[in-house]
Amino acid sequence: MSDPTLGHSFLAAAGELGMCSAAWLFARTLGDDGGPAMVAEARDQLGRDFPVFDAVCARYLAGEREPRVDPTPVRAALAGVDRVLVIGVETTFLDAAVAALDCEIGLLTYGELEVDWPRVLANYGGRVAPCELPAFQRYAGSRGALLTFLYGAQAAVAHVDPAWLRVVAGDVRTQFRELIGWEVLGGEMYVYPRWLVQAPLVDFSWVIR
Amino acid sequence: MSAALACAAIMLVALIGQALRPQHRLLIVTGGAGAACLVSALAGTATTGALLAAVPWDVLVMLIALGLLSELLVESRLFGALAVLSTRRTQADPRRLMVLFAVGMYLISGLVNNLTAILIVLPILLRLYKLLGVTQRFLSWSLGLLLVACNLGGAATPIGDFPAILLLGQGRMQFTDYLVAAAPPTAVALALLIAIVMVVVRPTRDLDDGPVRRRLTIAVIVALYRNVRLDLRRLVPAGLALAAMIVAWMTVPPTVVGPELICWLGVGAALAVAPRDGERLLRTRIEMDGALFLLALFVMVGAVSKAGAFAAIARWLTELPVPAPLQLALFLVLAAVLTGLFSAGPSMAGLLEVAAALAARMSPTAVYVGLALAVCAGSSLFLTAATSGPMAQIMTERAGLRDPQGRTISFGFFQFMPTGLLAFAVILAVGVGYAMLLVAA
Repeated sequence: MSDPTLGHSFLAAAGELGMCSAAWLFARTLGDDGGPAMVAEARDQLGRDFPVFDAVCARYLAGEREPRVDPTPVRAALAGVDRVLVIGVETTFLDAAVAALDCEIGLLTYGELEVDWPRVLANYGGRVAPCELPAFQRYAGSRGALLTFLYGAQAAVAHVDPAWLRVVAGDVRTQFRELIGWEVLGGEMYVYPRWLVQAPLVDFSWVIR
Repeated sequence: MSAALACAAIMLVALIGQALRPQHRLLIVTGGAGAACLVSALAGTATTGALLAAVPWDVLVMLIALGLLSELLVESRLFGALAVLSTRRTQADPRRLMVLFAVGMYLISGLVNNLTAILIVLPILLRLYKLLGVTQRFLSWSLGLLLVACNLGGAATPIGDFPAILLLGQGRMQFTDYLVAAAPPTAVALALLIAIVMVVVRPTRDLDDGPVRRRLTIAVIVALYRNVRLDLRRLVPAGLALAAMIVAWMTVPPTVVGPELICWLGVGAALAVAPRDGERLLRTRIEMDGALFLLALFVMVGAVSKAGAFAAIARWLTELPVPAPLQLALFLVLAAVLTGLFSAGPSMAGLLEVAAALAARMSPTAVYVGLALAVCAGSSLFLTAATSGPMAQIMTERAGLRDPQGRTISFGFFQFMPTGLLAFAVILAVGVGYAMLLVAA
């Protein structure tokens, strides 16, 4: 199993699927093939570089086989909202949200990793519109919201996609009805979270765990 | 004759200049075209109006229209669906992927232009290779084979690439005649190349791809395209238009309705089915830089032609004291080498007049299809000989592939060279041999 290029494969998948969604996909596929031993081996190999993968493997080894995805609280948080801009990609969660929501949905087409945005968007059949960074305020207003994914939210802080910090500043908070953070990892990370940045939870009007 | 030499020198300098400084390509060739017009006007060989009137606008219309049709096919997500299908069918086995993508590229580039074909296929393949983990040796041969397959596919049909479109647009060959004559030798050349690469070179021999890695690759590719569906609103009109155009090209006499008009109307109809998208494509997706490059090229070739240079070369060739088939063979080798140095567009545009002189003395099919194959061989010689080569280089650099030792894998001039030399030899041998067969028949 020792394979130095596995990390590049994971990164290639994580760019478009999201760190958490890609990690679950890898953990399940490895587990189906070689059982928990292979997941543990992959965790040893990649965990230090990809803390989200490390955390997901830990959950897999603890007996979980898929992430908990419940868009109901997201729907509740978006009550009265006409349009929401999603920042960061986590396809397992975004797929569920898109199916559950009936408002206009945009996706910020900005990321640190290599992403084929037209392909990402093609999976939503026109339900999710692309939005470039300079145009994010098109979603602002009393009926507009921002949604991002949280990784290992603790008492006061969580880790988020770096794109979140490109959008959210003090004066931006007041331009949106809601700023929603949706916890996707379901537990803390054991390794310092490379690829993500820290954000205070007070920045969010809703934190969905 | 001095005007001919001056115009030829201008064209040569412009072509070498654009090859050496691709970042200033358009500036150099349009400047060269302007200078050629000036020399022609001062020498009295042709006015600028006459040179512009001699530009084969029908060919430019076809190139632009077929480019738009390619865009429609791309936006229909057809190629994403094919990517998932091919990954599943090959079980992400690098050997089978390599062959399947080469054959697939050959078929695709027979319908869409080479640059578009590369832009469609390469991102998918590079993503697959990144997921699989490949070596430098495998990548060099695999992408090299893909580029050569792209060139061969472009030469296989009359609408695949500029040289064949030029033959069709200028009425040198009919659609069906070209297809029937060119498709078999290009397919033979591809089969030979694949066989040599897979059996003799064996680029997968140092590849360490286990079944787990393959299953991961399939899982990721399926996830990336999990909800991507074919956009029938775009695919059906584009497919129907293409089918109708092919039927019309094969049945309508070109003296009644020319191939360019069939193309114009067919693509126009496909775009008009969804007018908003059609208008957007027309406004934003026409490859103006490619059209401008060819326009400048045609003007320079026209200036050289009006000054009598090509007629002189044709005379020299046809007066060589060797049998006519040998004259043709020499011409094809010359065309292949010139294409390797100057790329397909310039050499095809320049040599077509010389080919016409040879076609008057022997089978035109042998001469024109032989020329198309020779140009294809030349396009495959160096990475820089075809526009899709540098594009593949840039896309591979961006993909940031690494080998099992963590070293960056690249695809540049020298990595392509072994495949290029092999392809050049195989395609040229097939082309010359095929032309000789046709002449003898």
